[in-house]
Amino acid sequence: MKLILSTGNIMQDGRPSVVRHPLMQKSNVELISSLRANFIASQHVESNGSEPHANGNGNGNGNGFSNSTSNGSHHKDHRSWTGEQPDGSLYIPAIDFSQPGLSEERPQYDITVKLFYLPGIPASRRCAHTREAIDLVLKELNVDSIDLLIVSFPGLLFDADDDSDEEEAGVTGEPDDFDSMVQTWRVLESLHEQGMIAQLGVAEFGSERLARFLPHTKVKPSVDQINLKDCCVVPKSLILYAKTEQIQLLTHNDCNDILPVGTTRELLGPSDKGAGILASSPEAGDGIQGDVEPQWVVKYTAVVKDRGVVENKGYFALADIGNCVKSRQ
Amino acid sequence: MGLLALGTALEWPEAKKKAHKVREWGIEQLLANWRRAKGKERDALLWGDEVEYLVVALDDEAKKARLSLAQADILKSLARDEALWKSGSGSNDSNGEHDDEDPPHFHPEFGRFMLEATPGSPWGIGFKDLLKVESNMKWRREVAKAHMAPNESPITLTTFPRLGTKDDYIQPYYPPSGPALRSQFVPDEIANPHIRFPTLAANIRSRRGRKVELNVPVFKDKNTPSPFKDPTVNYDLHLWPEDDDVRNGAAKDDHVYMDAMAFGMGSCCLQITFQAKNMTEGRKLYDQLSPLGPILLALTAATPIYKGFLVDTDVRWNQIGGAVDDRTPEELGEAPLKNDRWRIPKSRYASNSTYLSQDPRLRKEYFDPDLVVDQDIKKRLMDGGMDDLLATHFAHLFIRDPLVIFSEDLEELDLNKGDHFENLQSTNWQHMRFKPPPSDKDDIGWRVEFRSMEIQITDFENAAFSIFIVLITRAILSFDLNFYIPIQRTTENMETAHARNAVLDEKFYFRKDPFSQRVPKGSAQQSPDGSTFSSANSSAVNSPPSSPSLNPVDNEYELMTISDIINGCSDGTFPGLIPLVESYLNSVNVDVETRCFLASYLDLIRKRADGTLWTGARWIREFVAKHPSYKHDSVVSEEICYDLVKAVEEVTEKEGRNGALGWELLRGKKN
Repeated sequence: MKLILSTGNIMQDGRPSVVRHPLMQKSNVELISSLRANFIASQHVESNGSEPHANGNGNGNGNGFSNSTSNGSHHKDHRSWTGEQPDGSLYIPAIDFSQPGLSEERPQYDITVKLFYLPGIPASRRCAHTREAIDLVLKELNVDSIDLLIVSFPGLLFDADDDSDEEEAGVTGEPDDFDSMVQTWRVLESLHEQGMIAQLGVAEFGSERLARFLPHTKVKPSVDQINLKDCCVVPKSLILYAKTEQIQLLTHNDCNDILPVGTTRELLGPSDKGAGILASSPEAGDGIQGDVEPQWVVKYTAVVKDRGVVENKGYFALADIGNCVKSRQ
Repeated sequence: MGLLALGTALEWPEAKKKAHKVREWGIEQLLANWRRAKGKERDALLWGDEVEYLVVALDDEAKKARLSLAQADILKSLARDEALWKSGSGSNDSNGEHDDEDPPHFHPEFGRFMLEATPGSPWGIGFKDLLKVESNMKWRREVAKAHMAPNESPITLTTFPRLGTKDDYIQPYYPPSGPALRSQFVPDEIANPHIRFPTLAANIRSRRGRKVELNVPVFKDKNTPSPFKDPTVNYDLHLWPEDDDVRNGAAKDDHVYMDAMAFGMGSCCLQITFQAKNMTEGRKLYDQLSPLGPILLALTAATPIYKGFLVDTDVRWNQIGGAVDDRTPEELGEAPLKNDRWRIPKSRYASNSTYLSQDPRLRKEYFDPDLVVDQDIKKRLMDGGMDDLLATHFAHLFIRDPLVIFSEDLEELDLNKGDHFENLQSTNWQHMRFKPPPSDKDDIGWRVEFRSMEIQITDFENAAFSIFIVLITRAILSFDLNFYIPIQRTTENMETAHARNAVLDEKFYFRKDPFSQRVPKGSAQQSPDGSTFSSANSSAVNSPPSSPSLNPVDNEYELMTISDIINGCSDGTFPGLIPLVESYLNSVNVDVETRCFLASYLDLIRKRADGTLWTGARWIREFVAKHPSYKHDSVVSEEICYDLVKAVEEVTEKEGRNGALGWELLRGKKN
């Protein structure tokens, strides 16, 4: 069974998580806390008696929702605020895709999507995952193309101090092997050819990896996004190489391991901090049984081009659940 | 500084008779323009900065720094070059760094020793544009310098330390006590000779019934006499009736006394103007930036010296307010109301008193209960279709009299022009200005001007503060931030910002939670212009929601340090303006080079706020205190002034690198 987790638009929702902890080390705080906030808000709306996504009369008392965090194990039945699809997948919370995603016409926007392939998930699934993720974003924003797709391969760490190469960290999973990156790129190139994605980008590539990667591409990455603590220290070799190849170096502050299994369990679990989707014990009937395995996370941003205003930003995450899912522990 | 059309300017007794007509016509022009432009949509973010300079002339032999009154010659020479430039034959840009930028514009200012420079064309939000700002500012300075005499240069001090002293602080020298200013300290020739400026000064004085009166508390050093009686005041002048002012007690003990518009309008500011996508967004930005005015004033503090004395305030603001205060004794509340229409609590140059946005978050408790409004004008505007809030705003601005009226302009009302409207609009110098599109230009939208900041010594700082404000506006719009506090608290904050070292020592009222309350998904009404609430909800302003869920207004804000406001509270309550901006930057695609630049700008502001770096005011104070000839008597002598100006030039050039002068201002460490 597929669980589709979503944050909704995190920009204009008064969601304190956006900036409340800007100095925290882990920059997946935004994802986790905005998912949590969206779950709570959706439960709250439902418990107020109105339909989750009906055009209600905006009672607007945002004060109340935080109280519901203390509901603890008294979670209401999740079926009231999640959306089960005919194919068996479950939207958490339910989404009304008929809502207009953007307020102006499509050409006014720069839409950037970043897709995080997660550690330990076979690269063979990426073709399907990529399509799934892009489809969700297109539906959410009500558009038929995006301007830039950046893909983040698991296990890559950019190290600004090390000019020689980026490190391949094995903390959270096996470093991605080069061939599977190239395989994945084929999928992206085909989406590009179909006109669904205007530009492609990679993340955390050092100059050597770029140099190795480029000959294998038909559509060159136009962006390399790197995570820098001090963005004024970028290896010269990378700057020069990127310039020659006309690859734009962009900055980001995303976390390398954006959605660990444990965090996902906690988010969906029966505890005080969880959404009460998962069963509290293998025997209990108060939720879905089985192991959870997050598959991918996608972040999308729609920026009004000539005004620099971020109008819509959010995340989707997909997790598999069930006994067929192999636990990686 | 407004329009510079030529004509016959009316002296006050005549101008006063025509004031009503100008107001009436101004309102008709406003209405016509508002009808034409209210539906303007989807204008891009364009913005511009204005940098103002003092032109100083150094006399190295005599060790004297003087103000140069060569503005007209410099501007003429600049204009000649600009014409050449446009025809493609001239270039001031030797290394081609600015090939893709339009040549900067230079403008006259009130002071004949001043110059204003703006970029040749407005900036956008493209991050590459943000990178050009600083170098463009430096370029402007070079271009200006190239059109001055070899010993002259443009410096960005807010005020000249010895303006109005007894010595020859101007070049060429003119004696004080002219017919327009009637100042015992400065000559009429200190002002731009364009008829508009002497008329403005004379009519302010005339309307007021005496000279303007500025008393700035002196900074009491260990050898400063107590009580301090301003030794430069002459009590025996009998040239003009206004010379009686000082005999009637205009000069206060323990204060530095000044008596002319030039002491205020001769100050240099850093002003930023933004174009909004439409009127709705402009009104929102006007409201949301308003509470930031006093905070940025304290952060940019750079004015610790007046008329040769260290003073106990750090910023220029109230001195300009006093220098153009045209209120009569009746309006000031010093005499019973007989001839005038109302008491007016603030000078024409003051913090703003209105909120404009049709925003459901705007509660009636935020409004100024003492707001003076011309009800007839408000009625005319509302009868003309304007909504209550906007009509109130303009009916508030229009309580003033027009100060400079050209008789030629009163022959016929031209509704396609905005001259009468601008006459009042541009002489209401509040810290925010809401600007309708010009009547005669279709390609310019609704704009908002942020006016409180003091000019900084280096262009690095000027660029940093300009860009910071731009980024704040983007964060406000992206996160839909809410900085509303009762507007009187902003007025109080403006006063607080004057205190010596207010940036570190004082606390300011600020809203605790800048985030809008969550509206359950799906219930927000998306209006076609993208704002979350349709204007139909604007009635909420007049009959505010009495929802019990709303907190008492006084719980919404508290006193915070500037560091809390800029960097965030350590207890996590207020997130901080810089973290908000960084959060915004993390949501957009920024290239590595730009982010590096922006990081250095944000770092400056962060460290100004937490005290790691000094404000200009503090640096100047320390410079004076450490000067070998300073006698700890608050006197900033000619010699100190000369050395200070030289030092300022060095700071502008070297920016405190490698332990050079000014490192406390810019680097925080010597190496």
